[in-house]
Amino acid sequence: MTSSFTADDKVTTLADAIAEVKDGDTVALGGALSYREPMAMVRELIRQGRREIHLVGSAHGMDVDLLVAAGAVGVVEQSYVGYEQDFGLAPAYRRAAESGTVAVKETCCYTLLQQLRAAEYGIPFMPVRGIRGTGIGAWHPEYAEIESPFTDEKLVAVPALAPDVALIHAPMADRRGNVALTRPLVLDERFTFASRKVIVTVERVAPAHEVAAAGIVLPYFAVAAVVEVPFGAHPTSCYPHYTYDRDHLGAWVKAAKNDQGVGDYLERFVSGAPSEEAYLKMIGEDRLAELGEWDVSSARWQELLS
Amino acid sequence: MTGRGAGSAGPQKKGAPVREFTIDEWMCAAMAKTITDGEIVFHGFGSPCATIAMHVAKRTHAPHMVLVEGSTYALDPEPAFIPPTSNDWSLMRRAGHTLRFEELFDLGARGGLDRMFLSGGQIDVHGNTNVTAIGPPEAPKVKLGGGGGGCNLSATVGALTLWATRHRSGRALVEGCDFITDLGHRTHEGTRAELGYTGAGPQWLVTELGIFDFLDGRARLRQIYPDVTLEEVRSATGFELDHSDAGVVPPPDPVAVTILRALDPLGIRRREFGADELERRFRWADDGSTCAACT
Repeated sequence: MTSSFTADDKVTTLADAIAEVKDGDTVALGGALSYREPMAMVRELIRQGRREIHLVGSAHGMDVDLLVAAGAVGVVEQSYVGYEQDFGLAPAYRRAAESGTVAVKETCCYTLLQQLRAAEYGIPFMPVRGIRGTGIGAWHPEYAEIESPFTDEKLVAVPALAPDVALIHAPMADRRGNVALTRPLVLDERFTFASRKVIVTVERVAPAHEVAAAGIVLPYFAVAAVVEVPFGAHPTSCYPHYTYDRDHLGAWVKAAKNDQGVGDYLERFVSGAPSEEAYLKMIGEDRLAELGEWDVSSARWQELLS
Repeated sequence: MTGRGAGSAGPQKKGAPVREFTIDEWMCAAMAKTITDGEIVFHGFGSPCATIAMHVAKRTHAPHMVLVEGSTYALDPEPAFIPPTSNDWSLMRRAGHTLRFEELFDLGARGGLDRMFLSGGQIDVHGNTNVTAIGPPEAPKVKLGGGGGGCNLSATVGALTLWATRHRSGRALVEGCDFITDLGHRTHEGTRAELGYTGAGPQWLVTELGIFDFLDGRARLRQIYPDVTLEEVRSATGFELDHSDAGVVPPPDPVAVTILRALDPLGIRRREFGADELERRFRWADDGSTCAACT
């Protein structure tokens, strides 16, 4: 395993970057819910026909739902998958979980964080409170109860978790792979240091001095590849560039309610759009421009989210 | 899509004094009252009623509470409106600072969060909640979204305010959950003390039918809304109802109702309720102190 990535120029194509993700890999998805999810990379994973992916992450939405719908996923180890009060349960994920076509290993945010930290710290496990007394442990035979050697307390030891790949979408990076990230960072930083490999898509590849001025959150040596994909988080948001595309998300959730709808959606927006340029053309310039108008006024923002 | 226009609660015109209010407004105001001034309070994602309750508390009786917004982890933001999704910059507006994910969860783990709001598809008599699955977890009848951070946080957060907006369905308040995602006062594996949990567990359970506290780790009905009968609560509740001391929920402060309407013009809170519940309307008495009648 190479522990650092030192090439001077890591800018590559989406297809080449995603070719590095293998069937069966443990994949961490950046962002959360309707926010900064790596949707262009999700679409490319589906185009390349990836299978049996083991997803890990916190509270997510369409990224997980779409990958599951496309049959790319073997295991879902997320703390939540859905669309909150916005559109409710994630239809494709729900169907797959109920019929057993994906293995559910539901996790909890702090548990996952501690597992990533153990990988970052280079130790085999971390202890957590919680889990005991709940049903979560039944899905995780890898957890173990331990007694503190210092206080006699019983805790749950959760093993180090080092994803094979972390997929993160960011506003900006330089060609060496220094990445500027916006808050909330969610688990993006932790994924970066815990994972064996990090692939980053960005709204814009920028000069090194500009990224440094914005503030580097992910340093170049941890990042394997950089791909410039404007609107690479669409239909989730990537502030300050654009808010989330609520209409598109709603249309997906409606389509995802049955196999026919899923097939139609994938054919139109994923397999039928062989590149992200083609995908964006389908969404339309006007719509994309609208999503950037969130900061015009509170009224406009509210309108875009209603 | 579905939110537009849903926020207008009554016939009153903008700027006119508030005379009528609805159950979603009353419930949010009641949830706000479970917050004590000076507490550090957190809500999870997908929790519009809790979000609103916290902002109402901060702007009325609890100006010194530390409001940690769910998902963005923004400190004391001033959103112009409540969005339909919680990981959104609109919930960071005017926040001086946002915590990192790990800062928030570490705070919770070491007992630094005083209160958290939790809900669930099922809530049992001990205040355990299920947001994972209805039916057997290995082959669920309904796979719910999942618990986010609740499983760990419910062990260590100082106190929990639970809420449910579908009590009347008969499926929400149950004797025992099909699956325990977040921990209440006891499970078949033992009490909180036996399990080594540092937080005090559920303190309040606010529903659209009434308000419970917990006595010896069991939910106890303390108040019901004036348009609800004890018999209705009993038939909707899956555990034996302890109601020996039940009174009427005091009416919300008109200021609180005005604040929450302004805060939630899209009516996102209303999405937590069934359509029939949203038809329930209430009025203040002429002296403004008690709820006179329900229309």
